[in-house]
Amino acid sequence: MTQVLRDPREVIREEPLMHQPILEAVAGGGLTIGEIAEKIGHPRHEVVYWVMGMRRYGHLIESSEADDDGYFRYRAVGTDEAPADLEECEYE
Amino acid sequence: MDYDVLVIGSGIGGMESSIKLADMGYRVLLVEKEASVGGRMILLSKVFPTLDCASCISGPKMSSTVNHPNITSKTFSEVESIRRTEDGRFVATIREKAKFVDWAACTGCDMCQKACTVAVPDQFNANLAARRAAYIAFPQAVPKKAVLQREGTSPCIGACPAGIKAHGYVSLVRSGKYEEAFQLVLDATPLVGTLGRACYAPCESECTRAKLEGPVPIRLIKRFAADRHYESADGSPAVEVAEANGRKIAIIGSGPAGLTAAWQLARKGYAVTILEKRDQPGGYLRHAIPAYRLPHDVVDADIANLTALGVEIRCNAPVTDPEALKAEGYDAVILATGTQVATRMDVPGEDASGSVNGLDFLAAVANGQAPDLSGKRVVVVGGGNVAMDAARVSLRLGAAEAKVAYRRTRAEMPAHHVESKDAEAEGAVFELLVAPTEVIVADGKVTGVRMQKMQLGAPDASGRRSPEPIPGSDYVIDCDLVISTIGMSPDPTPFATLADRRGRISVDSKTLQTAVPYLFAAGDVTAGATDITRAIGSGRRAAHMVDRWLNDQPLDGFTALDDRLETISQDSVLARQTAFGHRHPVNGEVSLQKFPRDFSEIEAPLTIDQARAGAGSCLDCGVCSECQQCVQACPAFAIKMDQRDKLTELHVGAVVVATGHKLFAADLKPEYGFGKFANVITGMQMDRLLAPTRPFNTVLRPGDGKVPDRIAYISCTGSRDKTVGNPLCSKFCCMYSIKQNQLIMGALPLADVTMHYMDMRAAGKRYEEFYTQARDMGAQYIKGRVSRIVEEPNGDLLVRYEDIEGGGGIVEASYDLVVLAVGIQPNREVERLFGETPLGLDEYYYVAEPSAEISPGQTTIPGVFVAGTASGAKDIVDTILHAGAAVAQVAAHLEHQHFTEEVMA
Repeated sequence: MTQVLRDPREVIREEPLMHQPILEAVAGGGLTIGEIAEKIGHPRHEVVYWVMGMRRYGHLIESSEADDDGYFRYRAVGTDEAPADLEECEYE
Repeated sequence: MDYDVLVIGSGIGGMESSIKLADMGYRVLLVEKEASVGGRMILLSKVFPTLDCASCISGPKMSSTVNHPNITSKTFSEVESIRRTEDGRFVATIREKAKFVDWAACTGCDMCQKACTVAVPDQFNANLAARRAAYIAFPQAVPKKAVLQREGTSPCIGACPAGIKAHGYVSLVRSGKYEEAFQLVLDATPLVGTLGRACYAPCESECTRAKLEGPVPIRLIKRFAADRHYESADGSPAVEVAEANGRKIAIIGSGPAGLTAAWQLARKGYAVTILEKRDQPGGYLRHAIPAYRLPHDVVDADIANLTALGVEIRCNAPVTDPEALKAEGYDAVILATGTQVATRMDVPGEDASGSVNGLDFLAAVANGQAPDLSGKRVVVVGGGNVAMDAARVSLRLGAAEAKVAYRRTRAEMPAHHVESKDAEAEGAVFELLVAPTEVIVADGKVTGVRMQKMQLGAPDASGRRSPEPIPGSDYVIDCDLVISTIGMSPDPTPFATLADRRGRISVDSKTLQTAVPYLFAAGDVTAGATDITRAIGSGRRAAHMVDRWLNDQPLDGFTALDDRLETISQDSVLARQTAFGHRHPVNGEVSLQKFPRDFSEIEAPLTIDQARAGAGSCLDCGVCSECQQCVQACPAFAIKMDQRDKLTELHVGAVVVATGHKLFAADLKPEYGFGKFANVITGMQMDRLLAPTRPFNTVLRPGDGKVPDRIAYISCTGSRDKTVGNPLCSKFCCMYSIKQNQLIMGALPLADVTMHYMDMRAAGKRYEEFYTQARDMGAQYIKGRVSRIVEEPNGDLLVRYEDIEGGGGIVEASYDLVVLAVGIQPNREVERLFGETPLGLDEYYYVAEPSAEISPGQTTIPGVFVAGTASGAKDIVDTILHAGAAVAQVAAHLEHQHFTEEVMA
């Protein structure tokens, strides 16, 4: 990793610009953050911002479980598929 | 008195104070700066030591607060100032910030945020993820209503005389919404392709990005959207058009003002007829601007937007009698004839063959009557854009030389700097500080121009230094053609009675109505020669006013230009970030060659990658881009871009300051690497990751989305630390760390959690047991300071620490994720509230409680009380207790006030 982190505001501002390349990257199936980063040529920590923004607003959905290395895979939300719901409060 | 008590801040302290006071029967005004009540507690995962769900505790209190009959809550509002009156009460000035959403209509459905094209850091998720400029604060927000974050008009929009939302279409192109970008411009004018080429782009001059490596290529982005639309469209502009209203409008002139006015009125259901005296529409767009800058097929495509709506354009239809139009049944007439009269040089020989004015010259070329200038020498007199066009057109017609003779210096030249630079690049030669005194004619033909050299004297009314002749400096420039381009003015015929001495039609500058009520005028015929964007803005205004006039409405409400938010300053935009990454500016490619010989377009379009990269450099100055996507998406029609802040003065009997605290800025401890290493986060960020409404799908490290296995906590980050100016203990960092330790071990059973601490401060009911429980669950607690964190190539973090209880040695351990248990700092915003008699603060800038031991909650100002962490670090339990104390003080104060009044009465 060891690279200068850009101001989060600057990275986040680019999220709308990154929708298309990220959706193209996962068009063939779910990918981990690292795999997406490699495909689109951007640092992993920046891809985290973009993927999580896209997940929040219904563009991407994660795999149900992480792989053995601890990474989830993210894929495009299908047209007939609802994005992930917020987790219920398990306490109640 | 409007309210018994003003409570400032709706965190747990503010809510608790409000509810208790309201339950006692007092009328409470609660002011909260965010769009929801709840403060910080609602954002937490759980609370210690019970591990109750924070939302489950906060939620009902939030609901009670907002729905209590004795509480008036003003969210998204701020207290501007508070003044104590002689009777011991207070006058508070409250700013209700514009939400740009009608909350009575908003259902909280979140369609606006899904449609929004601007992403910003989400402060409610501790900046771990993005939210949108249109947003609902958080899923459990009370009230659950959307707001639009608008911090002003973006400079690009503010600079556009046509009122075109440049930031909006840039933002749409950035989001890949190209057709929506076209439609946004089309909403203002049908001339989208034209503006994409021939506009001088005042938006780019004001672009904040220009202060970095260069402006966003706004004009070319517009051209990109237009070209893409015209390539794919079936000829229909696909806009909504109102039903025909049976009214007829005549527009005289088909330049940008007339075409735009026609567009706006046709969409409102008017039957519009454009009367054009030339044989083709477009005004100077077709008849003056050369095709290498603005191809005629682009003008045609733009005009086709109008005709698709049924606008009739009658060419070869000069109007000689406007009253006849009224008699023909037109309900209103808009005069938009531009500036058609070329200013004469008034020198001998001017009317000779071989001496022409620039407007006639360019029109002849545009209409296929170009003269053959092969090998000819051309002198263009003037220094404006028409002069540059005339010179460059001359070169394309074969001229051997094209000299531009201008009476001032290059610095004063009125031509756009790009035009003069390009003219020079194509071979035009500038003769500066010269003025013509005679067109020399021999055998009926022009052979030269006698010039007099000039020098600059005192500034004239325009601020430019006046040219003054140098006696005896005459000389002759030999030439075959003289083109005069020294100015142009309107032709007021047949409206002479409405014109001023310069031939401009006199109108009210806001309404554009002339002295004849049904006659309006727009564009250069009212203002003299300006540019396309001003003409478009004027055309829009005229259409709006005609519509208002015909519907017996006051001639106002032209919000597109008259009611924009104040333009945000470039400096405040740049101050939002600590640093900016360099981006290679996207510039248009212009093909310039010496002595060009054809009229093909010289500027290349942007590729899709260039357009998006260019749009991606936008800084979102105003935050909201005004792209209108939320307006279109909202099923409740709740978006109200015309809302404005509202200031109210209210009288209250007492004030409770419950403004809470700030969190320590962790980057002030550089040895811990926050802001430098992606996998170093704060305790608040971890609480968000653990909350049900978390920004990620589970607890992941932000560096690469990995589920962390080894997590370290570092306590006392920014508290009990004189090196950062805060010797105070924050009281709850140890406990929230232990809480998170337990929650992590529940959420990630395989994870190892280690806390590096100074002292474990678990002073509270069942706190020590809570700590023991965490140890029993497997959390490790290592006493000793962390001195440094180093990032490893895979993003792991090597933590160097002192292990006091393990022998005192210096140890290094590797972790996936490091959490900094940051302390708190005073919220110093409270200092500005009380003006000239400020609220007393303690030595650490928390609100002072002079008698904290016997009168907790009392401040230095009688009638002003403090609740919660505004007066110092407290956990939630203590905050609620403190709020209760403050409430008792308030009640005592108010009852004493009432009692005193009754006695006095």
